Amino acid sequence: MIYAIVIAAVLLLFIVVLYNSLVRKKNDVENAFASIDAMLKKRYDLIPNLVETVKEYMKHEKSLLTELTELRTKAISGDIAEDDRVELENKIVKSMAGLMVAVENYPDLKANQNFLQLQGSWNEVEEQISAARRAFNAAVTTYNNGVETFPSNIMAGIMNYKRRRLFEIPEEERQNVKAKELFNK
Amino acid sequence: MSNYKDFKDFYEKQLLSDLKLLDRDRKKVDRRVILIFVIALVIILIEGKLIPSEIGPWKGIIQFITGIAGFILISLSSKKYRLNFKTKIIGKITGFVDESLTYMPEGSVSKAEFLKSAIFQHSCDSYKGEDHIQGKIDKTAIEFSEIVAKYKTTSGTGSKRKEHYTTYFKGIFFVADFNKHFKTYTLVLPDTAEKLFGKFGQKLQSMTLTRGELIKLEDPEFEKEFCVYGNDQVESRYILSTSLMRRILEFKKKWNTKVYLSFVDSKVYIAIWLKKNLFETRLFKTIVDYSFIEENVKYLVLLIGIVEDLNLNTRIWTKE
Repeated sequence: MIYAIVIAAVLLLFIVVLYNSLVRKKNDVENAFASIDAMLKKRYDLIPNLVETVKEYMKHEKSLLTELTELRTKAISGDIAEDDRVELENKIVKSMAGLMVAVENYPDLKANQNFLQLQGSWNEVEEQISAARRAFNAAVTTYNNGVETFPSNIMAGIMNYKRRRLFEIPEEERQNVKAKELFNK
Repeated sequence: MSNYKDFKDFYEKQLLSDLKLLDRDRKKVDRRVILIFVIALVIILIEGKLIPSEIGPWKGIIQFITGIAGFILISLSSKKYRLNFKTKIIGKITGFVDESLTYMPEGSVSKAEFLKSAIFQHSCDSYKGEDHIQGKIDKTAIEFSEIVAKYKTTSGTGSKRKEHYTTYFKGIFFVADFNKHFKTYTLVLPDTAEKLFGKFGQKLQSMTLTRGELIKLEDPEFEKEFCVYGNDQVESRYILSTSLMRRILEFKKKWNTKVYLSFVDSKVYIAIWLKKNLFETRLFKTIVDYSFIEENVKYLVLLIGIVEDLNLNTRIWTKE
């Protein structure tokens, strides 16, 4: 009898540990996702300032600036589906890269203190977004390992936890890094 | 930084005459050291003959004290010569390596900075340092010195109470202004648990709560060498970009010793274990020796090179 109780207690404890660790991993993923959101918001906040500063100098890139502003408005409106969101972000990055390359044609702008400051902030935000994504991917990998490896996969099956996708860095963004390098020469 | 190849020229024009003068002092010191040594030895022998053995262990103790006194005298009588070498030769060499550098032979990185780095968890009961070098390499302010840090343990009680000091760090402690702003702290420590126990080791690491959260990074080679703790998963990754991880790995290979890094208050702290005592002169062998002097330059170049190694002069973010 005593053995049965001990075994049951150990088993129960084991289940509790598995359950808690899975819940914790899921929460970590959600938390990491929220931090990407926070960083993206920083990026949106920068756009109007940047547009305002470069507007005075840039004569031929009006359409690029309007596009950027429109994309931002869309992004902060909030009512977009998850997949569209990723696409929208990619568009913002792409048009920003275009803008940064265009700056090359305006030596006055390149020397503007205000612009340099904003450019630094932009680089900072980009690196923070990339860090947030890496943190998210690390959290998802830990979570996925929990969901797929034995014995926690049994618990995950009962709790209906499913594998989640990693945040992949789109091709455009890798090119954006190159544009950044070119710009900082 | 001056060209390293020019050093031969610098050595001949700027250092050689001073070295020759100092070498004359060295010979004098050598003679004095031998004299003190012989006198101390003779006294110990006389003590052995004259002091009656009846007083028990006191005889040995008296002889031992005489020996210690001899060593102290030797160290005192060579002190001026050692200090002269540092101010005249090492001081000039630091100026050659980079004009902005200032050298303080008896200074050190402050204990407060050492503690702020939070690299070591032991209490710092004995803190000694020398060879302090400070300056600005392009945009990056740096300082470093040799440090020996010890913690105290006691055993026994009452009259049998003994204090014992254990060294937990000996080497170069390097502080530089980091090129990004950050508010949290991140520790990069040599990975001993994971090397020994593999995946299980990683579990052990994540249980050491006092260090903060374990930060798992995506570079497998980096993860094998180091374990990273911090109090913000995102900001630690913001500091340790994929390229910085590579650079730290290369840096570790270059020194081939235990290295610890911490990122606190927008600064990077680096502790490099070194058995060798750097920037010292020698006795009983001529110091008018190019390769002997060159070795100091090599270490200096290596140390100043940390700024380049970790890309600290790249200021494309908001920090100027």
